[in-house]
Amino acid sequence: MVRFKHRYLLCEVVSDDPRCRLTLEDRVLGTLVRDTIARVHGTFGAAACSIGFAVRYLNAYTGIVLLRCRKEFYRLVWSALPFITSLENKGHRYPCFLNTLHVGGTIRTCQKFLIQYNRRQLLILLQNCTDEGEREAIQKSVTKSCLLEEESAGEELSDSGGEETAEPME
Amino acid sequence: MASLRFRVTPWSLGELRAVASHPLSMSRFRGRGRGAKRKHPGVSPGRKLRGSSTSWWILAVSKSPGGVRLVRRRAAFLTQGRCDQHWKKMPAPATTYERIVYKNPSEYHYMKVRLEFQDGGVGLTAAQFKQLLISALKDLFGEVDAALPLDVLTYEEKTLSAILRICSSGLVKLWSSLTLLGSYKGKNCAFRVIQVSPFLLALSGNSRELVLN
Repeated sequence: MVRFKHRYLLCEVVSDDPRCRLTLEDRVLGTLVRDTIARVHGTFGAAACSIGFAVRYLNAYTGIVLLRCRKEFYRLVWSALPFITSLENKGHRYPCFLNTLHVGGTIRTCQKFLIQYNRRQLLILLQNCTDEGEREAIQKSVTKSCLLEEESAGEELSDSGGEETAEPME
Repeated sequence: MASLRFRVTPWSLGELRAVASHPLSMSRFRGRGRGAKRKHPGVSPGRKLRGSSTSWWILAVSKSPGGVRLVRRRAAFLTQGRCDQHWKKMPAPATTYERIVYKNPSEYHYMKVRLEFQDGGVGLTAAQFKQLLISALKDLFGEVDAALPLDVLTYEEKTLSAILRICSSGLVKLWSSLTLLGSYKGKNCAFRVIQVSPFLLALSGNSRELVLN
């Protein structure tokens, strides 16, 4: 009844440069988002959003980031994300942008969305891939995910972390 | 002289006292029994108190000791004829009121402000003044709110006073950023907000500046 409510923003870091995703670190990204909010929304925005702010999940291979913020100010955070233009790490600057995929109230809903999203992405990859070896690897992951889906429909697996398979590097 | 509504004439008071001191009015019966309502002889709902002004009617009789609860009924009903009819029938009031709400919120708010420096003697052009306002907004609320449509309608360099126009949604942000602005180029200063109004015409006269002779 009396608890702090949060909003979880599921974002994807999209970049031309393949090295950009590898240099993702949660602290680096956290400070980047905080600085952007301070620039876009001023001291008020920086103070309001940084209380409950945290980077909850980061996947360097897929570039998926899960940000947490307070429910009252999630719009300030959300509107500041398009102003992030580049990622700076160890002196290298990579142009990138953050694509928001989903806004959820709990980590579990974001995880459910992420599982479905990844399945769709695997199928798209299957269509677009050129190499035979890659094709086999993707097909294997697709069948594995389908099997797991059937299992989870029957048993309600709670933690299906195996769904987020590392995609082959292109 | 008390108004008509609240005057209780001696007659009605006497009646009240009589009722209150009547032995049956003390609640001997606990709980709601059928005899509860009959404890007050001579006093029953709907009856107009003798001698009182026409505004007091007995609408409810409570069973608390010594209590005859008088509820005043609106005089509007009594303007019609046959007031001593059954109180249960509430006739519709003769006059009907029509309420017209004119919804025309003003898009802009106008503020009359004055800039005061701690040690005087600082001059600002109109452009510098506007730059100061925008930097105040940007400091507190960021680039997004620094781009609010803000206009300086008039500016006097001698007194450093101006009339600003801001859209209504941005009034609170502008006002709070003016409040928190502390210095200009290292010199301490403060904004004094003299008047705020959604209508420009209201800023033309200020009753505080009236000179009464």
